[in-house]
Amino acid sequence: MSTTSNRTTTSAPGGRRSARPDRAAWGFLLPFVALFLFTFVLPLGYAVYQSLLTPVRSGPLGLGPATLGFAGLDNYTLALRQSAFLESFARVLLFGLVQIPVMLLLSTGLALALDTLSHRWAGIMRAAYFLPYGVPGVIASILWGFLYVPGVSPVVELLGKAGLAPDFLGYDNVLWSIANIVIWEFAGYNMLVIVAQLKAIPQELYEAARIDGASPWQTAIRIKLPLARPALVLTGVFSIIGTLQLFAEPLVIKPLTSTVTNSYTPNLSAYNEAFANNNIYLAAAESVLLALVASVLSFGFLSLVNRKERDAR
Amino acid sequence: MLRWGAGAAGSLAALPALTACGQTVGAARTTRQASTRRGQKVELVFWTWVPMQKTVDLWNRTHPDIQVEMQTIPASVQGGYQKMHSSLTAGNPPDVAQVEYHELPGFMLVNGLTDLSEYGADELRDSYVPWQWQQGVFNGRVYTVPQASGPMGLFHRRDLFAKWGIETPTTWAEFEDAARVVKARGNGARLCAFAPNQPTWFAAMCWQRSARWVRTEDDTWVVDMEDDLSREVADYWERMVRDDLVFVEPDMSSAWYKHVQTGKIAAWVGPQWGDALLRGNAPDTAGKWRVALLPQWEAGQKASANWGGSSTAILQGSRHPREALQFAHWINTDRRAVDLNISVGYGWPSAAGVFRGSALDKPDPFFGGQRYNDVFTASDRAIDTSWKWSPTTDADFAQLQDAFGAALAGDDSLAGALADGQQSTVDNLLAKGLKARSAR
Repeated sequence: MSTTSNRTTTSAPGGRRSARPDRAAWGFLLPFVALFLFTFVLPLGYAVYQSLLTPVRSGPLGLGPATLGFAGLDNYTLALRQSAFLESFARVLLFGLVQIPVMLLLSTGLALALDTLSHRWAGIMRAAYFLPYGVPGVIASILWGFLYVPGVSPVVELLGKAGLAPDFLGYDNVLWSIANIVIWEFAGYNMLVIVAQLKAIPQELYEAARIDGASPWQTAIRIKLPLARPALVLTGVFSIIGTLQLFAEPLVIKPLTSTVTNSYTPNLSAYNEAFANNNIYLAAAESVLLALVASVLSFGFLSLVNRKERDAR
Repeated sequence: MLRWGAGAAGSLAALPALTACGQTVGAARTTRQASTRRGQKVELVFWTWVPMQKTVDLWNRTHPDIQVEMQTIPASVQGGYQKMHSSLTAGNPPDVAQVEYHELPGFMLVNGLTDLSEYGADELRDSYVPWQWQQGVFNGRVYTVPQASGPMGLFHRRDLFAKWGIETPTTWAEFEDAARVVKARGNGARLCAFAPNQPTWFAAMCWQRSARWVRTEDDTWVVDMEDDLSREVADYWERMVRDDLVFVEPDMSSAWYKHVQTGKIAAWVGPQWGDALLRGNAPDTAGKWRVALLPQWEAGQKASANWGGSSTAILQGSRHPREALQFAHWINTDRRAVDLNISVGYGWPSAAGVFRGSALDKPDPFFGGQRYNDVFTASDRAIDTSWKWSPTTDADFAQLQDAFGAALAGDDSLAGALADGQQSTVDNLLAKGLKARSAR
């Protein structure tokens, strides 16, 4: 790696670079920067601003006119004092610790299997595995919800006849029932990312491995997996962010059971504060906290795997 | 270090002057009557989740100058109020909207309702049932036109009760005995379901026991959910759940409807507007249902309760409050309108004296030919109307619902959930910048 980068810096003719390409680059970047500012930085700044405000009331029983006052960090302390909000973080972390490895193992397994399958079948299987991703999360949750509700679900009925009485929506199980929906939705999607990476591996490596007498297993473990690493890191980061943003699935499952609370996940908590409790300032504080945790976790994960990569070299 | 701290505090203190100066909370636009030219058609937008299109059509036919467009929104907290609050903040609210009684204080808190006294609403007062009218009166000003309420009764399956040899319970003790009989003889059936997702139902049960969850003292909100009366109700249902005498499942959900359809549930302590739900979702059980008065805590008592109830509000920011008020009054008092509303199950009319001769006042084949609304008439009269709602009801009930869920999963008792609910209600009021305290 280091040799290539050396070559590029020294290869500029005359040792001096013209300013022109830079200006062109900015021209190309401008639409992105504008969109980035407008759809990301601006709303983020507005959320931070709102999280610092609070209504100040007057009049009999506080039903009179109210003005907006500066709250400092009051909304943040209020959010962090709510045990339900803190529990929601613990819940999604537990969820992620179990769901992400299971899903990525499944995706990797499927990707490796597809990579060795003959071309005709690979195409069909790839489409089949990817299909759930085409179903919107809300619809998927409604479909799975029907399979979970006792009295309506054929699965529960069949298992009941077999002497098992699963309570998919019970207090201890509902989180894993939601995990099941998420795995079903995203395993195929992540598989596709990994397959793409596997396809990019130069064929010579396989040829060399075959000549050296490596078995398909050895090829998979020693060559494919290490070289698919960037894809695994990428899907890992996506999954961490996705887990923290868990929203549609619990929201749809909620009417079916009392075990999914109004602050089941941090996102759900902020949503309910904003739209059901009409407390947008507290909701803004909760959202900012969620964004902070998400970036700490994903950057933490990235630096962890990158350090391992550096150590390995 | 110290100096830096002082500087930071100083600049932070200066922030409100820079940022929030003069900004008001809530509705972005205030109601102002727009001037209309002679012959100009006024157009109103009406948001509701009750299928009242026929009533609106009738209005549009009979009032060519004021045309109303009805838009269906999700029911109550399933998205309806979210939409209303957003429209208030954005400054593009509908002129007229359906708002439940227990939501009104919350809307008052964000200045979301139009003061209708300014447009002559006080003269309409006598057309309505007094307690329903009072739901929309704050500080002596009228803020909304009442639409309907939900006096409660005991829906039950006459045929199943006869099969199992159960008399219609008149007290809660008899109700519990009946539940034990159903469990013993019912082959998997239960008398009813306890719905942990319905704090409004639970509140109604405490309302009947003459508990009062919220009251005001001077400018302070006093919350009292852990009182002995509410605890008694909580302990009662706790026992019903722990002894496996009831199903524990959300009502009006697919699982619950399935139980109702298959006769696994033999009774429902429900509101008058529940008749439409039973009729619509369990048509095969037609003719087998009857309605009785609510069971009483002490024999011979005559206490009832209310579940639900809506008003027709003119949201802050309307440009045609005068016409909107005219429409709101007509839709809730005109005889033909009331009959059309009844046909879609809008609830117990708030209009005074419309019961006799209305669509409600006749024998019903679904209830085996019973004039079942006579029961709700009696129920309606027996409702103690001193019950008050907090301006944070949505949040309070959401948290109470969570607490019930956790309690039933084994962590706590229903009475413990009530104590949690009390604490979070006080917190919610304080978080909104109000003065509040626990009663005990």
